[in-house]
Amino acid sequence: MTDLPPATERKQGLAHSTPVEWAVRSLTSLSAVALAIVLVMTFVGVITRYVFNAPILGSNEVIQLVSIPLVMLALAATAQRDEHVRVDVFDEHIGRWGRFLGDIFSRAVGVYLMYLLTWRSWVKLGEALEYNDLSNMLRLPFWPFYGLMALGSAAYAVILALQIIDLFRTGARGRD
Amino acid sequence: MTDFSIGLLGIGAMFVLLILRMPVGMAMLAVGFFGTWMLNGFRSANALMVTEAFSHVSNYNLTVIPLFILMGNIASVAGFSRGLYEAAFAWVGRAPGGLASASVLGCAAFSAVSGSSVATAVTIGKVALPEMERFNYSRGLATGAVAAGGTLGFLIPPSTGFVIYAILTEQSIGQLFMSGILPGLLLTALFIATVTIISLRNPEAGPRGAYIPFSEKMAAGLRAAPLLGVIIISIGGIYLGVFTPVEAAGIGAGLVLIMALFTGKLNWSTGSKAVGDTVRTTAMLFLIIIGAAVLNPFLSMTQLPARLGEAMTTMGLGPYGVLFLIVVAYLILGMFMDGLAMLVVTVPIFYPIMMQMGFDPIWFGVVAVIMIEMGMITPPVGMNVFVVKGIARDVPMSTIFKGVLPFWFAMAVCLFLIVIFPQIALVIPQAMF
Amino acid sequence: KELKLADFQPPTHFALERVYKPMGDAISAATNGEVTIKAYMGGELGPGPAEQYNRAVDGVADIVFALPGYTASTFPMTLLSELPGVIDPINDIERIIETQEMLDPEYRRVKLLALWNNQPGVLFTASKPIRKLEDLKGLKIRVPSRNAGLVLEAWGGSPVSMPATEIYNAMQTGVIDGAMIDMSALTAFRLAEVTKYVTVGMDTATSQFFLVMNRDSFNELTEDQQKAVLEAGKDAARNGHAAWVEVSDKAQEEFVGMEGKELISLSDEEVAKFNAASEPVIEKVIAEVEATGVPARAYVEALKND
Ligand code: NA
Ligand code: NA
Repeated sequence: MTDLPPATERKQGLAHSTPVEWAVRSLTSLSAVALAIVLVMTFVGVITRYVFNAPILGSNEVIQLVSIPLVMLALAATAQRDEHVRVDVFDEHIGRWGRFLGDIFSRAVGVYLMYLLTWRSWVKLGEALEYNDLSNMLRLPFWPFYGLMALGSAAYAVILALQIIDLFRTGARGRD
Repeated sequence: MTDFSIGLLGIGAMFVLLILRMPVGMAMLAVGFFGTWMLNGFRSANALMVTEAFSHVSNYNLTVIPLFILMGNIASVAGFSRGLYEAAFAWVGRAPGGLASASVLGCAAFSAVSGSSVATAVTIGKVALPEMERFNYSRGLATGAVAAGGTLGFLIPPSTGFVIYAILTEQSIGQLFMSGILPGLLLTALFIATVTIISLRNPEAGPRGAYIPFSEKMAAGLRAAPLLGVIIISIGGIYLGVFTPVEAAGIGAGLVLIMALFTGKLNWSTGSKAVGDTVRTTAMLFLIIIGAAVLNPFLSMTQLPARLGEAMTTMGLGPYGVLFLIVVAYLILGMFMDGLAMLVVTVPIFYPIMMQMGFDPIWFGVVAVIMIEMGMITPPVGMNVFVVKGIARDVPMSTIFKGVLPFWFAMAVCLFLIVIFPQIALVIPQAMF
Repeated sequence: KELKLADFQPPTHFALERVYKPMGDAISAATNGEVTIKAYMGGELGPGPAEQYNRAVDGVADIVFALPGYTASTFPMTLLSELPGVIDPINDIERIIETQEMLDPEYRRVKLLALWNNQPGVLFTASKPIRKLEDLKGLKIRVPSRNAGLVLEAWGGSPVSMPATEIYNAMQTGVIDGAMIDMSALTAFRLAEVTKYVTVGMDTATSQFFLVMNRDSFNELTEDQQKAVLEAGKDAARNGHAAWVEVSDKAQEEFVGMEGKELISLSDEEVAKFNAASEPVIEKVIAEVEATGVPARAYVEALKND
């Protein structure tokens, strides 16, 4: 369910090879677990407040932190299936080579940005460990969530890099 | 180079990246990142990216996104959408063009569990289009009603369009949701009026459906009642302030999930499809949110929106002159772009201008969302038309665009009414707070 | 060198004129215009208070305005002054400035320029007046921090945490019975519209504001420039404190003047009961912080100095 036409499934190339599929599915499953936690925490939070008149102090901290793997670990799957929203108006006009070079260039930029995000998240992980950064109410440690953020952006970068290799293999013809 | 010219360069670079098929979120992230690097240095750009990514991904209020998407996806795979359509059909199918009106009503009802226009068109279209084919509806009317009806997905809450607008403008998601209710109902009524007028002028286009006895009408209504109940609880709960939008989304998704499990409508494969779709759509939206969060500080540092606003103010067109310009810009852009991408590209620039002109931020949210929706059915590039084409493969694209045209005018009428009577958008959010 | 100062509050906020402008002028004058400040208000460099501290640590901005309470685990010692009775919120700003150096161990990642206290968190209630300690029993009250939550619990209430921006709706609809927040929220968050009673008099939790500077940005300055920035920071704390006191007084005055609103000043006897109830919490928190190897008791003594 995205605001996109159903992508024509190109299930070839490194980005769709078995180990990559497997890794992407594992990350998606972890993301789904995070979604389940968010759902249960919100649902139960409302019930306990209205039915038992006992708000859960700090449940929003769990929801906030768990949202990090929910989003970050699904980025790779979204990229693998080309489900990120694009403007496709000009696809016809830039020609086969335009599409080919554009796809390589935009992925290369994406790899660079995600590499930086991974690196910075990793540094933040170290700092959060060193200074023992915790959430306010429940005192949940931040470092694992910086770790999950690093993992998610790294996986995204890897998918984009594999897609670049696939693009070079198929060449501009693959962009018809 | 001045900050202002770096800003112009950034906007230009973003259009180049979009032409080169970069995802919208990544393009915004790239421009925001490299622009900040030029203005403030590498350290600042890196810091901005990691801080904004972490804080937006872990933003409590944005949890509405995965939860409402999950609610719509489960309702869809569990077949509850069919129940909605069948109930609408039982009640209005006998009227002129009744099946097309039922499609519009079905879309309106499904819009209240789904935040996406495309999902709404797909879900109702799959059920309604074969039915209308069976009753020999004109293909233009049938596909037009579904493509247009689908756009209600963005206007009637929940709506990913309003969520993105809220992020970009720091307005309240709850208030924006509430502001979409009356315009959504108004547009539904205008769509049904459109169907009726077409069918009265040309009864061949929209023949009446079969006679349905009252008992069957009640039965169909009862079958749809649980889902309608969930809609009333979750959306009504926001209005009454019983729930925050996040809680309403959690309750809505939870109740739909429980219903689907209890009625045995959910199995491992449909369930995992719904969940997988949910997390991927969530990631797609959050890449846009992160991109916007990095782009916006860059844009405000370059003073670009402020200068554009000043320029428009000094042109002496007055607020409504500027609004007219913006609507025209949206109509032109709407030919080629639509959906979230168009919203994300336009709001950071148009919004500050509209605020300088003294318009209401919530009201402009409704206007922007209607413009985005018109774009979704404006040729040559219209996402909802493509989606309907995907379901009704043998109908030529030109037939769908022709069929959708009367509905496009209905949307223009709706927009005009909202400009003249802003209260249509504002009365509910104002009563709420 | 132009230092970027980031504040999440709107561009119309009094901090701009009352705190940042004088601070920038002082720094510019002391450095012959070599160092200046440009303030980015309204979250232009990134929205929201929660990430402000990180913006200083990582260097999104050179200086940020923030609340240490949003990253409480980093500032256990700084936050001791939020406990009831540790400081006199009106008169102790000089003491906070004097003892600032004791906090250095908590500011290894940034440079602390200015620290001042907000006015105390009083009790706002939508419809149930709190005239004595027992009236608070079982009421759901929004609290600004963990320590404030412990205090409220000790008073017999049931603490709820939510962002300040959501209090209005939650109080109007009865999701919560009231909120513990400083007086200026009556106007800043329009809470006067949904609040019938405000109870004052007891020792209660306060919150703190600070201006912190990115380490590298600070180290890049010459010694004289650093001195100028630190001096201007201390004045910023004084100016900030004075401005917040004024706004708080004005909000209280307006509230008292409104029809159907009541400002409840607790009797001495009730004040004593409230303070007695919160006493063990204060001791407990100080002991907790002390146990982490931080001179918590010494800092509290220095602040109290009586
Ligand atoms: Na909707
Ligand atoms: Na279009």
